[in-house]
Amino acid sequence: MSAWLAKPWQRGLALGLVVAVLTHLLTVWAVPRLIMREAMARIAQETATQPAPQAATGVYLPPPTDHTQRRIVMPSPDLLYATCALDLSKGPVRITAEVAHPRYWSVALYGANSDNFFVVNDRSAAVRSFKASDLDLRILPPGTDRATTAADSPSTVVEAPTRKVLLLMRLLVTDDPADLALAQVARSTLRCGVSQP
Amino acid sequence: MTPTRRIVASVVTVVAGAVLGIGSAWLWLTRTDPAGTRVGPWLVNLEAGSSDASMYTRARIALKALLALDRRETLYYVADRDDAGRPLRSRCRYLISGSIPSARWWSLTAYADDIFLFPDTQQRYSVSGENPTLKAVGRFSAVTGPETPVSGALAWIPTPGDRGLILTLRLYNPGPALQADPGALSAPRIERQGDCP
Repeated sequence: MSAWLAKPWQRGLALGLVVAVLTHLLTVWAVPRLIMREAMARIAQETATQPAPQAATGVYLPPPTDHTQRRIVMPSPDLLYATCALDLSKGPVRITAEVAHPRYWSVALYGANSDNFFVVNDRSAAVRSFKASDLDLRILPPGTDRATTAADSPSTVVEAPTRKVLLLMRLLVTDDPADLALAQVARSTLRCGVSQP
Repeated sequence: MTPTRRIVASVVTVVAGAVLGIGSAWLWLTRTDPAGTRVGPWLVNLEAGSSDASMYTRARIALKALLALDRRETLYYVADRDDAGRPLRSRCRYLISGSIPSARWWSLTAYADDIFLFPDTQQRYSVSGENPTLKAVGRFSAVTGPETPVSGALAWIPTPGDRGLILTLRLYNPGPALQADPGALSAPRIERQGDCP
């Protein structure tokens, strides 16, 4: 022990400071992960408690956004959402949709640390495939050897940074009820598939 | 010191250190301004949703804008003060005006200080680029406040009660110039109207 830590109170102070710095960093690190874990647990629960046909799609379709939505902060009242809590621990997951929505829409993927690691919108989907309305993603668990994945797969392949992934679909709606009806139809085509080889 | 007293002292030191660490992390995340670029009264965070985000940014975004999109997809400009630097309050009336931002689609939404929407049975939560009269004149203006504006021509977002107010301007698929430099936005003005004791 060096001379400046010779006294018990000095050692106490040093111990307290080390503990403070470590718990500070741990808290900041853990906050987004805990919030995401909570959000994904809720989404999984909401998905399962829907009527059986919708629950089977793996997609939770929340009601149109209004002031009673108090789960995820800063909800946009101009968007209709659809969301899935994905678990890649059993292998890749395929996401499909036929989104014939005339306005902006996007599908974003978030890792367990809350990072937005992938996003596709109506314009970029049009560039990727021949049919603009088709969405077909194959999401691989982290560290998957790409060589083992089928090269002739029609899906766009995305490697996830974590095994737990949250998918959030956004569809722009306006005050026009016809828009909302179209968005409702479009999001109902989303399938957050079961594991496949 | 007896061994018992030494153990008690160590436990107290560790607990105090942990309280200091967690408390300082919490205050740092919730009470200090997030890093970002200021544009008039607006703050735009350039790392939202990005994998390049620092640990602190990621934690702040998770707390205040969970599931944000990255800057290529959406820019979020957030204001909690008016042009004069006074904190926004829901009981005051504000005129928000500016030129139509360069983006595929934009919207201005009012949130209470818990970052959820103000209750309104008519669902007037936001003003967006879909408004045809705004599109025609190339400028937009909107009023927030607890009571209907005298001029019925202005879009009104009701903000009942007396609490903090947060305004969020979303630009979906911002133009290339804004994407490269979100600070180049011609910032919408936030002017308090009349007295607000």
